[in-house]
Amino acid sequence: MKTFYKLKFIYPLLASFIIVSCGGVPEEKAELQGEENVFSVEEVLEMVAKENDVTRTLYTKAIVGKGKLQGMKFDEDWRKDKVEAGPLPALFLRGVATSIKRGPVPLGLYLGSDHPVNAANKFEGKQAELFEEIKQNQEPQFFYDDSQQLHTAMFADLASAGACVSCHNDHPQTTKSDWKLGDVMGATTWQYPKDSLTYKETIAVLNSYAKGTVDIYMEYLDEIEHFKESEKPEIGNKWPQDGKYLPTAEVFLDSVKKLSSYETMKHLVSLNKK
Amino acid sequence: MFSISPLRTRQVIGGIIGLVVGALVFVLLSLESNEEYVSVGPMNTGHEELSCFACHADAKGNLIQQVQSNTSHAFGFREEGVDFGTQDVTANNCLECHDRPNDRHPIYRFSEPRFSDAIKNIDATTCVTCHSEHHGERVTLGKIDYCMNCHQDLSVESDPLDISHKDLIAQEKWETCIQCHDFHGNHRYEVPTQMKDTFSLKLISNYLKGGKDPYGMDKKYTALSQEEWLNKK
Repeated sequence: MKTFYKLKFIYPLLASFIIVSCGGVPEEKAELQGEENVFSVEEVLEMVAKENDVTRTLYTKAIVGKGKLQGMKFDEDWRKDKVEAGPLPALFLRGVATSIKRGPVPLGLYLGSDHPVNAANKFEGKQAELFEEIKQNQEPQFFYDDSQQLHTAMFADLASAGACVSCHNDHPQTTKSDWKLGDVMGATTWQYPKDSLTYKETIAVLNSYAKGTVDIYMEYLDEIEHFKESEKPEIGNKWPQDGKYLPTAEVFLDSVKKLSSYETMKHLVSLNKK
Repeated sequence: MFSISPLRTRQVIGGIIGLVVGALVFVLLSLESNEEYVSVGPMNTGHEELSCFACHADAKGNLIQQVQSNTSHAFGFREEGVDFGTQDVTANNCLECHDRPNDRHPIYRFSEPRFSDAIKNIDATTCVTCHSEHHGERVTLGKIDYCMNCHQDLSVESDPLDISHKDLIAQEKWETCIQCHDFHGNHRYEVPTQMKDTFSLKLISNYLKGGKDPYGMDKKYTALSQEEWLNKK
């Protein structure tokens, strides 16, 4: 028993030694240690917003605009079973945003306006205030959203195609019917939790947007597959400007990359000059 | 070294019995067949067949590592603590089975700044605000007037309803919204155009508590079963 009392201080020390020698759970941040943050969140959001501009313009002009001329339909209720149509550009963007949220990159993307077709998309508060400035100068606006603790950027969403103007002016729910080409119809809002990003994180943001584009476009092609009454366009290498055709997701994404890669690459290689 | 004083024999026997009983209880409660005794309450509607691990995944590392990491964190030697025992359950766990492209109110949308006032009243950025688990119900939110937080300015052009949406809103009849519309928009059914044809509040209330679905069983997407979820992983 005396020995027990002599050694009683040894047991806690032994227990502590066992716990410490076991090592803790590896820190996730350790994976990123050694990687320098090379882009500010503003730079990255500008890059991805530029990609979005190109993608949306291509979809609106080459798919929706030309597709309508071929008799293809695009509808806000495109997901409903009885509606045999593709997503309108605003819903195409919503689909991209949904896909991004399903992935691991903490990027948020939203579309709003002061005269939205759907009243639920009307800007309020800080966004409404900044949107007034965007309408004046078309310059991006940045702020920190305290409530969500997210870095936030807003970019002008322009009426870049005749289809934007005619659909919004003629929509039964529209609150403004004198839109014209070039108008600031709304703004995209982007959010990200960090103030600066590593090269890898930047690429992940750009890739998540590209994946979102493919995902929603694939959903559209999948809907076409289930058309019962409407004539199905042929899906391949051709575009609606050539007839009742639609490009595959790969062909669509290739075209986006061709149109946007120069601007994005300029930003990415500018690292060497920093 | 471990010789026992005759005066402490009963204490030692009691201690050993305690250890054996404790170990036995631990082992028995760890068995999958006894999960219901560990659960803090009955599973919500549709989740009756789920095992604990479907939501409560083991935390990273073993228990000793978790103790060390959290002790280090408490003394400032580590930036972040770690989950102890099991990982925190988040909305991502729900979405692994319930994520649907046609969701008209996906939780991510409410992270946008313009909803900051609305989410002070109802935190729609997470599923558990309305679907708190272990209550044996479908929707655990007390009131059904939640549409008022975002749709005060709604007006429907060529309103198909016999009493206009604008009038219903002016009269603050917010409970009527879900008498026609299912919140997540996954049901295939004809939305009523006359108030007399809408689902009664009794039916709705019963549904929210876990009863029969008044919107019908025809849905565009069905949630994954545990088996389907496991196969997907």
